[in-house]
Amino acid sequence: MLEVQQLYRSYRGIPAIENVSFKVAAGEIVGFLGPNGAGKSTTVKIVTGMLRPNDGRVLFEGQDIAKDMVAFRAAFGYVPEEAHLYTYLSGLEYLQLVGRLRGMDEALIEAKATRLLKLLNLESWQYSPISSYSKGMRQRVLIAAALLHDPKLLIFDEPLSGLDVVSGRLFKDLLELLAAEGKAVLYISHVLEVVEQVCDRVIVIAKGKVLADSPPSDLVKLMSLPNLESVFAQLVKQQDTRAVAQQMVEAMRITHV
Amino acid sequence: MHNLIQKLINRLPLDFRILCRQFMLRVIDLEALSIQADVTGFLGQFAGVLIMLSLVHSLVTYVGFVSMGDPQARLGFCLHMEHHLIATMMLVVGLFTVLSWDATFPDRRDVMVLSPLPVAPHTILSAKVSASAAVLGIAILTLNCASGFVVPFLVGVLHGTPWSFYQSLAAYWIAIVGASAFLYCSVLTIQGFTALLLPRRMFLRLSAILQLAAFGLFLAVYFLEPTLSSPDAMAAPENQGLLACLPSYWFFALFNQLNGTLPAGFTWLAVRAWIGFAIAICGAAASLLLCYVRTMKKTIEEPDLVPGARGLHWMPWFGGSLKTAIALFSIRSLTRSRQHRVAFSFYLAFVFGIALSLLRDELASGAASEITVGFLISTFMMMTFAVFGLRSVFALPVSLTANWVLRTTQLRSSEKYIAATRGSLLLFAAMPAWLLSAGLAFHLRPASQVAAHLAILALLGWILAELCLIGFYKVPFTCSYLPGKSNIQLVFWAFFIVCLPLAVWIAEIELDALHHALKFACMAAVFAATALGLFGFNGFRARSAVLYFEELPEEVITTLKLSA
Repeated sequence: MLEVQQLYRSYRGIPAIENVSFKVAAGEIVGFLGPNGAGKSTTVKIVTGMLRPNDGRVLFEGQDIAKDMVAFRAAFGYVPEEAHLYTYLSGLEYLQLVGRLRGMDEALIEAKATRLLKLLNLESWQYSPISSYSKGMRQRVLIAAALLHDPKLLIFDEPLSGLDVVSGRLFKDLLELLAAEGKAVLYISHVLEVVEQVCDRVIVIAKGKVLADSPPSDLVKLMSLPNLESVFAQLVKQQDTRAVAQQMVEAMRITHV
Repeated sequence: MHNLIQKLINRLPLDFRILCRQFMLRVIDLEALSIQADVTGFLGQFAGVLIMLSLVHSLVTYVGFVSMGDPQARLGFCLHMEHHLIATMMLVVGLFTVLSWDATFPDRRDVMVLSPLPVAPHTILSAKVSASAAVLGIAILTLNCASGFVVPFLVGVLHGTPWSFYQSLAAYWIAIVGASAFLYCSVLTIQGFTALLLPRRMFLRLSAILQLAAFGLFLAVYFLEPTLSSPDAMAAPENQGLLACLPSYWFFALFNQLNGTLPAGFTWLAVRAWIGFAIAICGAAASLLLCYVRTMKKTIEEPDLVPGARGLHWMPWFGGSLKTAIALFSIRSLTRSRQHRVAFSFYLAFVFGIALSLLRDELASGAASEITVGFLISTFMMMTFAVFGLRSVFALPVSLTANWVLRTTQLRSSEKYIAATRGSLLLFAAMPAWLLSAGLAFHLRPASQVAAHLAILALLGWILAELCLIGFYKVPFTCSYLPGKSNIQLVFWAFFIVCLPLAVWIAEIELDALHHALKFACMAAVFAATALGLFGFNGFRARSAVLYFEELPEEVITTLKLSA
């Protein structure tokens, strides 16, 4: 369904991503992992059409999205990493805005928005301004907005950020049901435990390059490591966190220079 | 001198200095400005406008004074200008209080950020008061930088002694500062006690209404108050009640008292100024102290989440889902964002100012009257201020980071978005200005001429909306804003130099055309053709237009201009 081919993007000559390629099929949940600054956000911006690559292309159902961006935009739902919303709107008003921008029927927007807000435990606050919402509540509004138009492709960028345990569990169940519905899901997260549980495949990216693209169980088996977290640390050559933590404590203790 | 000031500043506590600077910059919301935002430059431009006003005012005063030969006429002229300056200063301070509404009181952000830090509440209070006083002081100085010397000089010339200039100078500045402080502190007192007496949430809702009410009151008083500055008008028994109610005349009397030119019968007016000043200062001090003791605590104690009431759930339809989305987004941004509300109020001030002047003339004339050139010019100017004002506010972003939703949901052509923006301009600027003009024309006769003028005005509104849309390929409130790009002074003076004579010229042609059917038909045809031409031109360009959300090219933003 979604195919990313040889993406390359640089900022002032410095490559942010190089030759990034992967596929997400219908009914598949693909995890997209990488340390900070690995190129995840750049990739997601290109995939959502907000940024143009210097080279490479993104295909959706076999068509280059650059050739028909409108059709692509109509087909995907997106939950960004940060819950940036128009905070002076209420939760319901925000969903109405998104529905109208997507050209949905007014009665349908009303019915779906109120139902989704109710299911996400936001019914009591649907008329309150988003500025008064907690981080988790804002995240739930974003999830509702992404589902509102029944998209074929869903891109979730750190969707569990700020969600409580119950909402987190609900979201994991939702992911599985969405995949069962035939939706393609690109799931970007730092919570490796969840990724290991729900994703069919995992793509690991570091320094702008794809390092691995396999089912989590295969990766664990192949590298003979106990879990995905260890695999991730091995792949991205994670720094010695203990040593860095020790240096931070020492820096904290400095009283004069 | 600079070193001395720097040494004095350095002797102040560090936390006070940091907070004071921070609060001063808060007059403009940094988050709404784009990456090249230069707040001090932005404020400097506003100060420049005030300085220019002062220079123009001084020039007019001096030329007017010199052209009069009779000493009595000169005295009357000076008294009139003196009162006019005090009233204008009070209006500017009033508008400043509207612009910096709530800025002197601790908001939730201050409480949440500063409470965990080792900063005493009295430091926050003194920093806020100092920041407000500094900005207010700059406004007073800039608006009086020329007239503050010219008017006392002319008054001194009338008295003919070297000492009288210095006396007038001191009297002038004391009266101006006193009038400004009186108004500013009165507003603070009302705000402070409302915050103390009402529950926090109710106060926050009422505060927005109070802000607009204060705005309307300042304008209404400025434009509707009668001219009573001549000795005869002040002495008339029927004017005594009005003089007692209008603070600008209290401080006018105070100036004359300090200058030694106040007739004995008007000492009571100057006494009112002193009493009003003392009450306002004490009230503001008490309310501020109480607020910092109680409001900060109340803000921390209030629950983070409170379910909202459904309220009035009005769902108007504007002829298509995109048009409805953009129209509702525009009106909600305009009414719910304090910054945008205040920015638009600045332009509405001119609209209502003109409308109130017309209303005053109508009330004075009483019976039904004919359409005049003045009326036509006024309605043209109202329409111009409303449409151009909304267009300029549309350019201010409401939340740049939230724009991703508009980028990822753009399923229709840019042409449709631009059409929706046109709809919002017509609906929220042109139509209200037209309705206001129609209401003000209610007593004018004959009705056929009124209807004809309203038709021309509607076409003018359309033309202005189309002019505003040239090159404006944006969704309202979503594109970054570069203050340096739109030179306020240039726009402001260009507006007066170009639009006002143009309005006078068109009004004179229209007044003649209203009496001749053929001429009117020609004029209406020219307006309609212009509107249609601009509509076609915008439509043609919109077909190939691309909506943009950043004033700067993407490359400049993503590379942080490192190559520059």
